[in-house]
Parts: sequence; structure tokens; C-alpha cells
Amino acid sequence: MASIPTSPTSPESPGARSARQPLRKATSRAEFEAIQREATESWRNLWGGDRMVVSVGIDSSSIAKGAVEVYNACRRELAGSGSTVRQTSGNGAMWIEPWVEIQRPGQPPIVYANIEPDDVPDLLAGRLEDRAFGVRGDEPFNGVPPLDAHPFFKHQRRILLRNHGVIDPDSIEEAIANGAYSAYLKVLFDLSGEETVAEVAASNVRGRGGAGFPAGIKWESGRKAKARPKFVVCNSHEGEPNVYKDRRLHEGDPHRILEGILIACVAVGAERGYNYVGGEYPLAIARFRKAVQDAERLGLIGKNVLGSGKDVAFRLRTGGGAYICGEGSALMYSIMGVRGQPRTKPPRSVEEGLWKRPTVANNTETLANVPDIVSNGGAWYAGIGTEKSTGTKLVTVMGPVKTMGLVEVEMGISLRTIIDEVWGGMADGYTFKGIQTGGVSAGPLKAEQLDVPLDFDSMTPFGGMLGSGGFVIFDESVDAVDFARYMTAFNRYESCSKCVPCRLGNPALVEILDRIRLGRGTRADLPLIERTSKHIIELSLCGLGQVAPAPLLGLLHTYPEDFESKLVDAPPVLPLREVLPLAGD
Amino acid sequence: MDQHAPGQIDLDVVREMVSHITYSDHQEAQELILHALQEINEHFGWVSLEAAEIVAEHLGTTANRVYGLLTFYADFRTEPRGRHFMLVCHGMACYVGGSTALVDDLAERYGVGDGDTTADGALTVQVVDGCLGVCDRAPIVKLDDAYHGQLTPEKLNDVLQRAIAARQGEERVHGIDPHIAHVS
Repeated sequence: MASIPTSPTSPESPGARSARQPLRKATSRAEFEAIQREATESWRNLWGGDRMVVSVGIDSSSIAKGAVEVYNACRRELAGSGSTVRQTSGNGAMWIEPWVEIQRPGQPPIVYANIEPDDVPDLLAGRLEDRAFGVRGDEPFNGVPPLDAHPFFKHQRRILLRNHGVIDPDSIEEAIANGAYSAYLKVLFDLSGEETVAEVAASNVRGRGGAGFPAGIKWESGRKAKARPKFVVCNSHEGEPNVYKDRRLHEGDPHRILEGILIACVAVGAERGYNYVGGEYPLAIARFRKAVQDAERLGLIGKNVLGSGKDVAFRLRTGGGAYICGEGSALMYSIMGVRGQPRTKPPRSVEEGLWKRPTVANNTETLANVPDIVSNGGAWYAGIGTEKSTGTKLVTVMGPVKTMGLVEVEMGISLRTIIDEVWGGMADGYTFKGIQTGGVSAGPLKAEQLDVPLDFDSMTPFGGMLGSGGFVIFDESVDAVDFARYMTAFNRYESCSKCVPCRLGNPALVEILDRIRLGRGTRADLPLIERTSKHIIELSLCGLGQVAPAPLLGLLHTYPEDFESKLVDAPPVLPLREVLPLAGD
Repeated sequence: MDQHAPGQIDLDVVREMVSHITYSDHQEAQELILHALQEINEHFGWVSLEAAEIVAEHLGTTANRVYGLLTFYADFRTEPRGRHFMLVCHGMACYVGGSTALVDDLAERYGVGDGDTTADGALTVQVVDGCLGVCDRAPIVKLDDAYHGQLTPEKLNDVLQRAIAARQGEERVHGIDPHIAHVS
């Protein structure tokens, strides 16, 4: 097993290849366009040559399964053969990791699943053809179907994930060859700030962090704000126990996020952009940091970018493992080097945010959509998905399903299709009981409710929520009271302790749940849960406190039998010394 | 990561580390407090009060404020780590996969809960409420630099015993502080 390569340019690290060619700074549009042409040319040469191209998908989940060893084994095996061995990012299909993609001269690239380091010699010699999983292309080859024919990929619409499993995330050239920064170029030279904001507004892209607020409205308020300086903040902090989409975006296509932030800066006239990433994501941070350094070297960040007369500064900041820092105002306090605790609103952060200046704060996934919205137009984007929830959504799953992974689906697809087809249904030996929605901010759905379309509003009547797209599937062995206790305990632990209802209410809920689990709960405890939850929901200061009891209430309303079966009429009276061990016992 | 004797932080190294952190104004200096603490925490496995004072001095703020950040954010430790450091993922997939049994077993067998170090200083355990991101191998732990997945309490115990034994074996042979990176 390997350590995560924290420095992408260290000699052993797969990213070292691209560091050999120094990047030259572009000072005009024409110079950058020349770089674009060269990048496209060398991308074409990479795939069009007469050499074997071996790509290994490396991200935080495949590293844990030995992908770096597989990569090193490929390098050793092919040393001096003239073949290319390169890293790429994961493609979302976690159950086939570690995977290796091989393009032999004259053949399409074929992905091989579950390759161990010891398999590499046989694999490269063509003796492991039974592991061929799919062709990265449109046509089958030698009986191997295209990747997109697999149910996991068939139902996806990959816009944000287009480059995942294709480009080397440490290579700005490969990103540029695949379209990165062409939208930024357009915003710098062809569009006014007003026009860019209008495209984003026309796309009707809604905030992907969970709240679903239209990004265009936020950008417009930010653009009109008079105070200076202004900032753009990308919220890449995922502290929830079941969400990893933003981490994967950083690991797979960091330039897409950076481009989205830079476009936002230019469009709203912000002096500086920030990206705030959770500190627990070393690989995501390393790859994003490399992306920023390369973009600076190319002259895409700094004064008078590409001679456009526009200045854009950028800073990467990392968090310290506090769930609350995903809340907008807490995140900004954390950037400012104080405890991340939310404040009352108004003023909204777009009026008074970072350093008390107007700040446009968006989720990573929202900003990652921006380059394509600008390139293809807001109307194109609005045509994807449903009328009120446009575009695609990154969705992650945990739990006992067959083909687990990160997927990007069009809004409006039914939850049942995703579970049964994309994730392959329940693993053998497990029976579906429910699916927890909205991270730790909403309730679960039962099997009969799964025909609900995946969008921002449809799950609400059932007590569910799209949230940030993190789902947990649990089976019959999971007890609703235990599960509720787990999520309530998470909220108790992660409460920032600023306001009383959340600080004291969540421990009180945990106490009640423990009482029920241990067979000492009575009928009076269920209304007590409702009343305590109402207090927390109505009186908490921030959005996270206001939804803290939601998973508990959802589970209580969906699986009342799990709670009621544990209640007793009168709790057994224990002798005092069993409750409180007395001195001398 | 941590090449130093547990329980000690070489303050000259801390001074050297913070001297590389430069800033243009007081705002930027404040933005860098967390960054400085992260570097120290990553290098030594924890941050002492003396190290926090050096950070405060360098960035023009008070030790009080710096220590306030250390105790607020979950990633920082204000006490030394044991020789082995284990993150136990308690994310939802791991929870559904049985991480509670692992946590309970650690408490029973080794007497350690979240943030604790065993009495002999061999192992520090931290329970991660977020996610280590290897959900299809749930429940998972990260011991030093290696991941171990699909664990039961017995399997976890084997992994720990092997790690601790490997360590003691090497100590006997070399009498030095070996850096254990790979266990299985």
C-alpha cells in the first residue's frame, strides 16, 4: 500500500512527466492561442502515434487499493520500450479500481479492471484479456463493449466529469488540449462582465452545495456591489460523512474549478478569488495547488492577464476539519484566521463577506459548471435537466450496492434508475431498507418512493432533499434508531457551540435516543424528540443547526416501528448503585 | 511524516518552518495562521503551546488566538501522538459497514477512544467523522500511511499486532527509530 504523493513534482510521483517541459508565460491572446494549438497537437500525437499508451487511474480511492504500485509496475515493465506510461484520474467507477487503460498501436484504448501490481506483466503481454472492461470510444473492439454501454456509464451525462479518467490532472497542457481556459479567454476578451453574468443567469444553474440558490442572482448582486475590493470564494469544504464529489472534482479536473473561479472574478469584477478546501484531502490540495502554479506560470493569473488589462489574484486556503466551515459565513471566518462560527444574516455575504467586503460564494460544483455555460451559452445549459433544476448533478453513494461510484446524471432522472441500473442494485445478501438523502440534513426515502425524480424540489414532500447529492443506502440490518443516533451524534460533535439550541439540543437528542436504544425509553420520549427538534430547528442561528434534527425526524416518521418496538411502559427502576457507582463499590 | 521522538517539538525547526511563510499585509498574515499550524501539525503530529507562540509572534497575533484555533479545528492535536497513528473512518458507509464494532473493540482491547493514545505510547487513535474516501472498502482505517479495508474487529487487531510487532522487531535489530510506511 502506498502513501499519497503529496508533491506532484517529486521524482517518484506520476506527475513528474509534465514538469519537464517548462511552461512559458503568455502575454497576449495570440500567444495563448499558440499554446492551445501546441497542446492540441501534442495531445493528438500522444494518441495517434505508433507507441503503446498505458494510463493508470490514480485518485484517493484507487491509491488506497494500490494504484500507485500498479503505475510503478507498468513503468518498470515498460522502461526503455518507448511506450508511454501516464497517470490519469479516476473515472468514478470505484469498484473496478485499480484500473489500467491500454492503447496498443492501431487499436482503441481499452480499460482493464481490478489490476494488481503482480498482474502487470501478464496484462501488458496481452494475457489478461478477460479483464477487459470497456473501450474508451464509441465502437466495440474484439468483443469488448464501449465503456458507455455499461449501465454505470449509460445513464450518465458527463459534463463536469468529461475529463475524468482521460487527462492527467497534473498537466495543464492536457487540460488545455481538452478545452480548459477557452471560456476564460472568451470572458477576458469577448464578453463584458454583464454579458457573462447574463449567461450564467440564463442557464439558471442553482447552487450545488445544497441550498439551490440561483447562481446568476448571486453574481448579479456581486457585480453591482459598490464596495472595494470584492472577492469570489469557492466553497470546497465537504465535511459531511457521505459526500466526496468536490474532492473528486479537484482530483480529476482541477483546472475546470480554477477556470470557473477566474471567470467569476472577471465577471463580477472581483480583485481576488479564493478556494477553500478541506484539509483532509491531501491529494486534492496537491493537484489543485499544481494547477494554480501552472496557471500562474502561463500568465492566466496575475496583473493584466494576457494583455486584457484585467487583474485577477488567487489564493488557495485549506480548512482544519470542521464541518461547520461549509457554512458560508463560518467558511469566511475560517479564511480570516478565526474560529469558523457562523454569524447572523443579514447582511448577506454578497454585501459583507470576507474582510467585510462584497463576496460571491459558490459551491465547487456550481463554479465547475461555469466554463461550459460560458462556452456553450446559458440557453444550452438550461435545456439540460428539468425546467426548475437545470443541468446535471454529481451524485455519490455509499452503502452495499454492486457498482459504487461517483456519477454525473441529468437532473430529473429517477432515483430508482440510479440505484438499480447505475449502481447495479443491492449487493448479494443485502436487502434494501432505505436511502438517506441530503447528507445529514434531511430524511430517508423508502423503496416505494424511489420513482421520485432527482432534482432540487421533488424530494421535499417526502422529507428528503437533494442537498449536495450524497446518498447512503442502508439495508435491513441497520436499525433506524441506531442510524438516527449516529447522525445526531455527528451533529452534536460538529456543532460549533456558538448558539444554545444546537449546542445543548443535539446532546439532549442523543441522550433521548440512547435511552430508547437501551430499553429505557417511554412513549413520552417521542413527543419529546419532536419538541426538542422544533426548538433546534426554529431557534438555531445557522442553516446547519436548522436542519440538524432533520435526519432523526425523517427516520422517526419513516420507520416509526423501529422506535416504538423499543419503548417500554415504565422503565425498570434500577437500584441507585447501578445507576451511580457509589464510593467504596 | 514524523521523524522525531514523540513528545518533543524542536522549536528551531518550527522557527525555520514559519520563516518561509511570508505575507504582504496583516490580512494575509491572519489568513496564514491555519496554514502555519497545519504545516507544524503535519510535521510533528501535534502542535505545542510553545510552537503556537512562535506562530503568533511571526504572524503578529496573540498566542491566545492561535491556541483558540488549535482547539477548535478537529485536525489539530495539542498532545503528542503515539508511535503509530490510526484514523478510523466513521463515515456513513463505514458506519453501515460496521465501524462501530471497530471503535468498541479498540476501547475494549486497547483502552483507547477518539483522540487517545495507548498507555505504552504505541498507538494513537482518531475517529474520523467525515470520510476517508474509500467507501467501497468500508469499514476502513488508515494506519500510518497505509489503508486497510473490509475490516472486522479481529482483522483490525491482526493488522495492529503486525504493525506493532514489526516495529519492535526492527528496533531490536537496528536500535533506531524506523519509519514504518507499509504494513500490508
